[in-house]
Amino acid sequence: MKTKRRVAFSLLLALILVAVAAAMMVIGRGHTVYFDNKTLEDYQGQTYKAANKIVVTVKGEEVAKLGPRERGMSIWIGQDFKMVLEITQEKGGESEIREIDLKLPYNVDGIVVNLPALLAGLPEEAWFSEFVPAETEAPEEEVTGDEFGLDGGMGLEDELGLEDGLGDI
Amino acid sequence: MSEKKDYNYNSPSKFNDEMKTIPAARRPTELEKARLGTMTAMVSSFGLPRIIISGFLLVLFILTPVVGVDLPTQITNIINRFSWNAVLVLAMVPMIHAGCGLNFGLPLAIICGLLGGTLSIQLGFTGAMSFLMAVLIATPFAVILGGGYGLLLNRIKGGEMMIATYVGFSVMSFFCMMWLLLPYSSPTMVYGLSGNGLRPTISLDGFYNQVLAEVLHIKIGNIEIPTGSLLVFALLAFLMWAFLHTKTGTAMTAVGSNAAFARAAGINVDRTRMLSVIMSTWLGAMGILMYQQGFGFIQLYNAPNNLTMPTVAAILIGGASVNKASIPNVIIGTILFQGIVTMTPTVMNSAIHMDMSEVIRIIASQGMILYALTRKTEGAK
Amino acid sequence: MKEKKNIPAGKRILELVRNNAVPIMFIIICAVFIPMAGFSPSYLLNEIITRMGRNLFLVLCLLFPIMAGMGLNFAMTLGAMGAEIAVILVADWQIWGIPGVVLSMILSIPFSAFLGFICGTLQNMAKGREMITSYIINFFINGWYQLIVLYVMGAVIPIIHASIMLPRGYGIRNTVSLLNMRQCLDDLLAIRVSGVKIPVLTFLLVGVFCLFIIWFRRTKLGQDMRAVGQDLEVAKAAGINVDRTRIISVVMSTVCAGFGMVIYLQNIGNLPTYTGHAQIGMFCIAALLVGGASVEKASIGNAFLGVILFHLMFIVAPGAGAFITGDSMVGEYFRVFLSYGVITLALIMYEAKKRMVKSKAGQMLANAQKEEEAAR
Repeated sequence: MKTKRRVAFSLLLALILVAVAAAMMVIGRGHTVYFDNKTLEDYQGQTYKAANKIVVTVKGEEVAKLGPRERGMSIWIGQDFKMVLEITQEKGGESEIREIDLKLPYNVDGIVVNLPALLAGLPEEAWFSEFVPAETEAPEEEVTGDEFGLDGGMGLEDELGLEDGLGDI
Repeated sequence: MSEKKDYNYNSPSKFNDEMKTIPAARRPTELEKARLGTMTAMVSSFGLPRIIISGFLLVLFILTPVVGVDLPTQITNIINRFSWNAVLVLAMVPMIHAGCGLNFGLPLAIICGLLGGTLSIQLGFTGAMSFLMAVLIATPFAVILGGGYGLLLNRIKGGEMMIATYVGFSVMSFFCMMWLLLPYSSPTMVYGLSGNGLRPTISLDGFYNQVLAEVLHIKIGNIEIPTGSLLVFALLAFLMWAFLHTKTGTAMTAVGSNAAFARAAGINVDRTRMLSVIMSTWLGAMGILMYQQGFGFIQLYNAPNNLTMPTVAAILIGGASVNKASIPNVIIGTILFQGIVTMTPTVMNSAIHMDMSEVIRIIASQGMILYALTRKTEGAK
Repeated sequence: MKEKKNIPAGKRILELVRNNAVPIMFIIICAVFIPMAGFSPSYLLNEIITRMGRNLFLVLCLLFPIMAGMGLNFAMTLGAMGAEIAVILVADWQIWGIPGVVLSMILSIPFSAFLGFICGTLQNMAKGREMITSYIINFFINGWYQLIVLYVMGAVIPIIHASIMLPRGYGIRNTVSLLNMRQCLDDLLAIRVSGVKIPVLTFLLVGVFCLFIIWFRRTKLGQDMRAVGQDLEVAKAAGINVDRTRIISVVMSTVCAGFGMVIYLQNIGNLPTYTGHAQIGMFCIAALLVGGASVEKASIGNAFLGVILFHLMFIVAPGAGAFITGDSMVGEYFRVFLSYGVITLALIMYEAKKRMVKSKAGQMLANAQKEEEAAR
């Protein structure tokens, strides 16, 4: 009886942990959102012009102030992206404030949003594109692989304090 | 020391016969052997990890011509590396024999050798003379430091290995400070700019680089043999072997196998253990000098630490256990270990274009040590 | 208690000093070094608080094996490796912030538990030399860790982002950036008191862990563990499954070390893939011992005091070394020497004491036998 209860308890615990982990995977997924204030040319025969100035505010923090053809970025954890835009269409004109909610796709790390297209209320394919990082092939040596651990230095110069390694073996 | 005459340990043969009865307990009995079959009996007596490692090396050898690696170069490398490391491995023997376990405190011995080497250069000796002087200078250090170390180990019987490890570390880090603070001034050794503090790596060109290896150096085709180094090792190994067959040597074995038994036989356990530690330390100092002589550089600061685990692993791979070791163990172990160290990178790289040698070396050597530690061991301490 | 009162005060102080020689030595060292190093008090305080948050959890993990009489668990590094594997995966899946930390912790559990189980089993096979065995296990598993991270990850285990992979297409880079996880625990609920940042949430976690340890000591399992620690044979005779209890204590230590490592890494903000765990065990053990713990007895108080003193010494040593000798490297080597030295000292005291107790017991036995014979 007692062992049965224990097994049930451990199973329950494991289940809870898995559930929490799954929840974390959903709510903790981080995205980088890029905002383009760029004229969208010839989308179904129409052109959507860039605004003179757009101020992007995410979580009460001003993350970008964009003139035409400028790009700003912000990081966001989770999939329900919210931002506040302050748009000034013409120079010296009245500014307009708009709150925007976006649903970010789970599998995409970097999301580029074309603001003029978004503000015009176009369908997703018009304003959404995936950010592809440029391939940076920084030549980097791996740490292991000296012939005999002979120069396995202590790394005492490490600024972080306690991260001193004593060589491997 | 109370010389009890009722036990005649002057006769090594009788004594050795006695000794054999003790570790036999853990060997499979004849009946067991029959049951297990010859193959498994061999495995259990030789040890599975050892078989894996030997097999691995064999595969490497077979692969060598297949993947287009030059076999003579490999053999030369192994012989060379053997001549560098064999004396260090030999240094493990006395302490294992006296029951002090695996000498994880090897850095201490290496420090003695380093003191000998650096002081010899500092005093202005060059060429072969510098090697001789290095040995001479290292000796008193080895005796004093080894003596202190032995005294300490006698007070903590049963916990030698862990403490040895940390004594090694402590001494090494203490000498890291000393290399900076001691008033060395030889321009070949100190930092160029500030003029004080020794460099981490000191070239031995013009000093004792290859002095032994070049004696009677033999070259057969592409295979080169550093005869001098091998001869020195052979001499030391022979002396070790001879020592183990003297009165004191057998007493040492007795202490290692069963201290209570040895004490009953009238052996001064503490003094014997101390002697073994001093011998180990001196051989370690010799070992590092031999190593430098072959390698061509003195390495200071944290370098001593890098030799401990390979050395311990080597003797275990050769068939030694935590309290049993012999000269053949040293030779076989060094060849096997150095074989793997030299062959794996080249052969694997040409075979699968992936250099996993480092990882394999770590897993193999540490696994071997772990295997030796976790075996139900023989002999009460 | 009554007897103690009769002892003169001078003798009592002497006793106190002798029992706390190591912490007192470190207090003196710190007292001498602090003015030499010339750091401002607020800087020192800030550093100490940061390092307490970073290391306390890890140091506290060492208490379980000590409770079970298995000595200093040099293999707590295994937990750190488990956590590192988890953190690499989480970083690759781009789970950020607190959820990332929580997920790393949960994900590290299976790895750490598995490694801890291996470690406990091997230590059971090497009773009497648990410490050296755990020390070697540490290197052994490090080999496997390197195998997995350097060759299996990216080749067999899918790694999505090239940014954490070596250019050759498999294996993880030397450092994995945890920028999006950096100090997220520390910053949440953090308060600033005159320039000193106090990571409240991290300390809260440490506090919960302390409470857990106190509670655990009183449970049946905790009592069993202490019994096993006191005397293996007696515990066995009392019907305690000794081997199982010991394995549990190592597994608990390893799993908690995994949590501790995640806290540590989120504070640092990047993961040194191949060196991050190398010296964790050594420094945590040194810290605990500096706090006055011994191989067979350690308390939460030891851990706190130890982390403060040890890290204070660690911060000021290079500056003091530069002040005395004109070379800060000397100070850096000196602090390493002190860390090793304190562990060596503790080990020697432990073994010497063990031997003394043994010989005392032997003497008592002999005396008892003599008396018995005399009575006949």
